[in-house]
Amino acid sequence: MSKKEKTKVDSTLLQRIKKGCLWIVLILVAVIQIFPLIWLVDFSLASSTEMFTNGLLIIPEKIQWGNYVTAFVDGHFLLYLKNSILINGLAVILVVLISIMAAYACRRMRWKLSGLVKTILLLGMMIPIHATLLPNYKIYNTIGLTDTLWALLIPYVAFSLPQGLFLMTGFIDSIPWELEEAAVMDGCGIYRIVFQIITPMLKPSIATVAIMTFLNNWNEFMMASTYLSSEKWKTLPFSVLEFTGQYSSNYAVQFAVMALTAAPAVIVYIILNKHITKGVAMGAVKG
Amino acid sequence: MKKLYSNKWVIFSLVLPGILVFVFAILAPICLSVYYGFTDYSGMGEANFIGLENYKNLMHDSSFGRALLNSLLLAIGFICIQHPLAIVTAAVLDKLGGRAEGFFRCVYFIPNVISVAVIAYLWKFIYNPDFGLLNNILKAFGYEGKINWFSPQMAIWSVLIVLIWHGFGWGMLIYYTGIKNIDPVLYEAASIDGADWKTTFFRITLPLMKPVIQINVTMAIISALKQMETVYLLTGGGPGDTTQFAANYLYQQAFKAFKYGYGNAIGVVFILICILVTVGLNKIFQNKDID
Amino acid sequence: MKKKLMASILAAAMAVSMMTGCGDTKDATADAAADTKTESAGATEAADAANAADDSASGEEVTIKLFSNLPDRKNGQGLVEQTLIDEYMLENPNVTIEVEALDEESYKTKFKAYAMDGMPDVVSIWGQPSFLDEVLDAGVLAELNESDYADYSFVSGSLEGFKKDGKLYGLPRNTDIMVFYYNEKMFTDNGWEVPQTYDDLLALADEINAAGIVPVAMDGGDGWVLACYMQDLMVRLAQTPSDKIANAIANGDFSDPLFTEASQLLADTAAAGVFQTGFDSQDYGTAQNLFTNGQAAMFYMGSWETSMALNEDIPEDVRNNIRVFVMPAVEGGSATATDLAAWNGGGYGVSADSEVKDEAIKFLNFMYQPDKLSKYGWEFGVGLSAQDQTSYLTGDETELQLQVMDLLKNATNISGTPINDCGSSSFKTTIETEIQSLANGSETAEDFLAALGEACK
Repeated sequence: MSKKEKTKVDSTLLQRIKKGCLWIVLILVAVIQIFPLIWLVDFSLASSTEMFTNGLLIIPEKIQWGNYVTAFVDGHFLLYLKNSILINGLAVILVVLISIMAAYACRRMRWKLSGLVKTILLLGMMIPIHATLLPNYKIYNTIGLTDTLWALLIPYVAFSLPQGLFLMTGFIDSIPWELEEAAVMDGCGIYRIVFQIITPMLKPSIATVAIMTFLNNWNEFMMASTYLSSEKWKTLPFSVLEFTGQYSSNYAVQFAVMALTAAPAVIVYIILNKHITKGVAMGAVKG
Repeated sequence: MKKLYSNKWVIFSLVLPGILVFVFAILAPICLSVYYGFTDYSGMGEANFIGLENYKNLMHDSSFGRALLNSLLLAIGFICIQHPLAIVTAAVLDKLGGRAEGFFRCVYFIPNVISVAVIAYLWKFIYNPDFGLLNNILKAFGYEGKINWFSPQMAIWSVLIVLIWHGFGWGMLIYYTGIKNIDPVLYEAASIDGADWKTTFFRITLPLMKPVIQINVTMAIISALKQMETVYLLTGGGPGDTTQFAANYLYQQAFKAFKYGYGNAIGVVFILICILVTVGLNKIFQNKDID
Repeated sequence: MKKKLMASILAAAMAVSMMTGCGDTKDATADAAADTKTESAGATEAADAANAADDSASGEEVTIKLFSNLPDRKNGQGLVEQTLIDEYMLENPNVTIEVEALDEESYKTKFKAYAMDGMPDVVSIWGQPSFLDEVLDAGVLAELNESDYADYSFVSGSLEGFKKDGKLYGLPRNTDIMVFYYNEKMFTDNGWEVPQTYDDLLALADEINAAGIVPVAMDGGDGWVLACYMQDLMVRLAQTPSDKIANAIANGDFSDPLFTEASQLLADTAAAGVFQTGFDSQDYGTAQNLFTNGQAAMFYMGSWETSMALNEDIPEDVRNNIRVFVMPAVEGGSATATDLAAWNGGGYGVSADSEVKDEAIKFLNFMYQPDKLSKYGWEFGVGLSAQDQTSYLTGDETELQLQVMDLLKNATNISGTPINDCGSSSFKTTIETEIQSLANGSETAEDFLAALGEACK
């Protein structure tokens, strides 16, 4: 009895040290991950000349909120944010819809080519998205899609679809047949089964697919910069690029626009942190 | 019932949108790439058919070789640096519990949701030898010299650090989920047997994580191969071609050097390499998930 | 809508301030129109009415798309361009000009993408083979009528780069000279002197380095500045290197000692620490900011940056003390200080298949009226245009401007197109990548020149 007690004391001490080490490691990693962002925000509130000091962080002589005003107005923040939300929102809806339909057709319907079609659609996962930049540019130009919403929407949907389909087929497989059988008895058509019975049951997986699609495309930049030219449809990452030219001699404003561009995603992430974490984990482990 | 489930028109209507998107956004451009890959099209004017000329040139194009080598270096960097760190952090985080666990998990993932455009420019400043954060930190520790983080020897590693930093949260999260999925009974059994954390980690955690590790390693290699945006914005492939990557190179060739045909030839080879590597990795790991 | 409103207010305000600035009487009506517009901002009808008398307003709505390499619309050349656009839209209320502006490197990339199918109506172009040859071969630019510009007082020879087979396809905007900008106050405070010979420059660089300051801020991330530097050295060595360059590119043979000497000198200069650490990966903005924030004593760039002297974002004690000198004499070189690395590079052209070609050319001609681009450029301190500017001297010029003007006035020799722009665009890509490797020491001069020769084949 007493021996057991002694080990207990020992182990609590040991545990404390261990716990302390754990904390140090975790905090260190956290600092590495987050410090550059703090640095960014810090200097975005200073004046440009204060950049050239030696300190790691500075206390600005006067907090320059004006940097953010400039970034907000000249960076077309609201317009680009609206575009980003619109394009990504549409992409998410389309990916979810198309992947549910295709997944259902490939897993539940009876036809010879179902396996082949699914494999072909999944092929997209292996294709490097940037290899299609050149030919797609040519195609969109020829049919007049450059500088329109479609120029981004089509590739965004196309390259998120394989993953969406992959996840959806997995989830659909796990839905018991019995539910559908009952519906068929009641005289439901396939479309009603897909959209009124299956889709509601897929809610968690829809969330996963939506989150993955959103994360993949929200920050996409290469295609946006190649296919778009006027401000009308430009997305958020553009402000940063425009500002490095427009305000090449004003670093503080460049920092402000970077912080501002990063803000919406970071804020949404912090609010929805639990759901997003779950979604990513589910999507990534399965996909 | 059977009839209902084999109605050709219904099937057709359900898969049609997916097929259309695939054909229009993936298949058609690839076919066009194959076509232009056989021409000397500059981007304007006439395209002349030149057979395999582009592919022959590509065989001894040292920049393209360098791009592939860089992808390999990057993949090794991911696997040898990012992933061990991520697994260990995930294992440590798993032991923490409570609110702090959620807090750290959240913090680690934040860089991941930020646009590459922001990340690349931010790191340009961080790396600046004269007023960048990194050299300022070194100065705070008493180091007086100015380190050139983008010297030809270091540039690729500097790019790697940015990518590791940016993608750390993602990798960590997946390992973390994997660890969470391990049956706690196993750990209890281990602690009853008197196993210390080391034994537990190497005997239980790692082996059970094998499928997760395989997925993560596959993804790391493929993302190393597909790398473009960070490099495009951070170094543009330079200095020289020390940080060149295939995607960036084909973009440069087509839109900077007026070699649209050649750029497409690179694209075709690039796609083939990606497919081969993906299939190869799946074979190696005998991943039967993709049927 | 809100943005348009802002833009029109801004335009009006600008027009007003400018007109009071130069006190031209004939613009009185436009002035009135501008005022009306400011008051009833957004109500374009008011402006329309005020301009009804103006015969240029045909009433038909026209949109001209302008693709520009000047993203900074509030300073320098970009401000000049924007001012002209706003003025033109005021005078022609039926015309809307949409601007897409990217920095030079992105601009050139996107221009090539545009050239494939359908370009914007008015575009920035460069009258140099690397840029224009392929573009003209593809016939994407509209021919201009040269005789129209007889009265535009273009500096003689400045149109040549924009011609093919005797036909004119574009108009030059600037005369560019490569110079070292230096901070005069920093020089006097430290007792440094403007170098007379290249050895002086190297010695000075050591001194400056010892003081913990960067000697020359160099935009080495974009290979073209390094190539201009090499061009500058070749001018110092051989006075008129253009024939040798043309020959070398035509034959793919860079074995002439001139090239070896110049590239070796560039490599040695970089190795001696004249440029900032990591110059080969830093962009234009970074290099410039080192200089404008007092971190570097000199900045090697073209004369278009003369407008730094008027840029409010630059701290005052730097802004007011910027002066220039040209590449100092190189030992054994045959050139004198008045032989310059200079050329007429940038300009504008009109897309051949523009749907509003006539309107676009009209706008182009408006910009080039002698009292527009040149005059505003001069007033905004932009440096040298490709047109005769002597009649616009106001007496308010910055010291920097006068210095640059004197340089050109006293020039005995002008180098013409720099080496990187003399070949095909593929040659340009090669030299601009390879020259980084040369400058950072990862490639020898021999290998560098061999690679150049290879790229010409």
